[in-house]
Amino acid sequence: MAKMISTVMSNLTHCPKTRLYPLEERQLPPGTRGQIEFDMTKCIFCSLCAKRCPADAITVDRKGKTLVFNPFRCIICESCLEGCPKDAISLFSHWRAPVTALYEQKYQPEPGQAGD
Amino acid sequence: MVKALMVVLLVVIMAPLLGGLLTGIDRVLTARMQGRVGPPVLQPFYDVLKLLGKEALAANRRQVAWALGYLVLIIASLALFCLGGDLLIIVFTMAFAAGSFVLGGFSVRSPYSHIGSQRELLQMLAYEPVLILLALGVYLQTGSFMVKDLFHQSQPLLASMPLVFIALLIVLTIKIRKSPFDLATSHHGHQELVKGITTEYSGPYLALIEVTHWYELVLLLGLAAMFWTHPLGAGILLALAAFFIEMVIDNICARLTWNWMIKFTWTGGIILCLINLGVIWVLRAGGV
Amino acid sequence: MGRITAPFGPQHPVLPEPLHLNITYEDEKVVGLSPAIGYVHRGLEKTAEKKEYPENVFLVERVCGICSFMHAMTYCMGIEELMGIEIPPRAQYLRVFYSEISRLHSHLLWLGLFADAFGFENLFMQYWAAREKILDLMELTGGQRVILSSCAIGGIRRDLNAEQIDTAQGVLMQTEEELKRINPVMLNAYTVKQRTVGKGMLSREDALLYGAVGPMLRASGVAQDLRQTGYAAYRELGFAPVVETDGDSYARALVRVRETCQSIELARKALERLPEGEAAVKVKGNPDGETMQRVEQPRGELLYYIKGNGSKNLERLRIRTPTFANIPSLLKMLPGCEMADVPVIVLSIDPCISCTER
Ligand code: SF4
Ligand code: SF4
Repeated sequence: MAKMISTVMSNLTHCPKTRLYPLEERQLPPGTRGQIEFDMTKCIFCSLCAKRCPADAITVDRKGKTLVFNPFRCIICESCLEGCPKDAISLFSHWRAPVTALYEQKYQPEPGQAGD
Repeated sequence: MVKALMVVLLVVIMAPLLGGLLTGIDRVLTARMQGRVGPPVLQPFYDVLKLLGKEALAANRRQVAWALGYLVLIIASLALFCLGGDLLIIVFTMAFAAGSFVLGGFSVRSPYSHIGSQRELLQMLAYEPVLILLALGVYLQTGSFMVKDLFHQSQPLLASMPLVFIALLIVLTIKIRKSPFDLATSHHGHQELVKGITTEYSGPYLALIEVTHWYELVLLLGLAAMFWTHPLGAGILLALAAFFIEMVIDNICARLTWNWMIKFTWTGGIILCLINLGVIWVLRAGGV
Repeated sequence: MGRITAPFGPQHPVLPEPLHLNITYEDEKVVGLSPAIGYVHRGLEKTAEKKEYPENVFLVERVCGICSFMHAMTYCMGIEELMGIEIPPRAQYLRVFYSEISRLHSHLLWLGLFADAFGFENLFMQYWAAREKILDLMELTGGQRVILSSCAIGGIRRDLNAEQIDTAQGVLMQTEEELKRINPVMLNAYTVKQRTVGKGMLSREDALLYGAVGPMLRASGVAQDLRQTGYAAYRELGFAPVVETDGDSYARALVRVRETCQSIELARKALERLPEGEAAVKVKGNPDGETMQRVEQPRGELLYYIKGNGSKNLERLRIRTPTFANIPSLLKMLPGCEMADVPVIVLSIDPCISCTER
């Protein structure tokens, strides 16, 4: 009981341990799996990433040279990162902001780049 | 007469504002004691405004009637208190108000509401004797049950009735629904009874109950302030201190069971009161 | 007062998970109850047969959010056995480290929820604040706060560097200090003892009869902990199970409090003795044959049955989780107790319904 009073008093006199989340963001450590991004200058549309993805978040059209990524299926497991032969996928330690409507990201080779 | 009406009007308007503010401060301070940031101070008002904006759904009409009865009776006792009325009548009006609340809980079919109401009854059983003894103590000390006569006292009530004040703190714990006695609604944690006696209230009717709690809070703190009437500022400080002590108690205790509560209030609370009254009586007899 | 039948769950404030008990009370005493589960069945076992076996690691991690690492580890251990993979010693030690911090955060979570069950909100917040540090540590080392995804077939995906090991040691030491401040409240405070001592008695015989597992079993005086079998690096690290004999809710809390200390110690030891070398080996081929794996989860014994058929897909994956094994004991403990004690007793088995239903 006395222990708890001292805890209560020290909490009362110190800064709170929580923060007002959307207003104050925490610094995430560098390795945090926040979200992934594709670099279309490197991608060769080999579809290895799509094959390894456990959540089926990536579909690659090898002929049409398009890659469609569904960020809301992605569980940020890094499997595609490990599988990509060209290191075309990179990881950011930043959470994707909440959205009100789902969307897919379509990637196409930029003109005159390695994909062509 | 006009003055009395003014006082009543003032009570009806000011008390919920004060009560809501105190509740908000309670929430912020409790959060700080737990190491959280907590809600804004005005959060209780936002809550009630939001509840008022919701669809008015009642399980049946009796339920609403009882909730209204609770509100009106509490306002009546608070008004009586502010007019300096008879303490015994105030205590009994409060009991009627609580009874109305209980009947509201019983008027629906939810088992949680029923169990909550049963517990509220047990709580009344636990604290009513202490309140009556408090009124009796005031009578012994001042020779009158009237609150306004307290202002003619030279010496604060706290000096002659410290043990009764401690017993009042126990009652406060029960009435403002803090651990270890937040049995009937499980106000904060809502773990056992979901929301207990208020389970079946929603929207504006829940807002009604919430506002009633604000009135009740002001009344209870008024009872604490009564222990130091000269100057009144000291009494208000005393009441705020009592409120703060309640918060600390809430934060260092687990919720206990109703058997324990009855045992504790009946032995602890009542004996404290009786000893105090006995001492006053003996001193009085010796003095005469 | 007459008889009242009140539902406990599937939506109940004390337990965010859908366990449904229909409880009949007489004068606030429990006189009868009937359980029902099945509200969050997700068909994970069937999905596992559709996915390729390396992808299943991420699937089984999602059986349970709290002990996700242990699920992945058990699955990987099974597959490694089927494929005859010898994982490097560094990976073994890292697996112990991750298991123990998972256990630590699970027990801290439970201690907080338990405090919440008897209405001690402040203690609840204190335990969760301590747990937050562990979650941050998991984020730093594994990349995410709960779903670590650091276990893979063949070892550990993310090796720790020296700096991370230092931070981890520091955090663990800090947590130990922090717990020294909080634990006495849970164990000695008068109001807490009033609510836990003697509540939900389970004798040693009953615990064995009803097949209780994990801290439930150990609180009833049976010294059984699967870490004794010495999987991963537990054999080298040395380990003795925590046992209490009273068999009530208080004993179960005590077992978990002592296990948090033990976990900190084991995790720190694992980091200290971390062997040099690779953390993972390359995996080739497909699993064939069948195997059974058992691991001590925070809640008790976790059992995986894996059957492969030489293709990329498994033929069968069967998971039995500890909460399922503890529900019969719960049904034994509840009748006769007070209504106010129902949440305390239900929580004392540390129910994880999502685990149970997969
Ligand atoms: S991170 Fe994982 S889930 Fe996300 S796209 Fe890559 S493989 Fe798929
Ligand atoms: S991102 Fe990498 S793995 Fe995926 S298609 Fe492009 S090159 Fe291949």
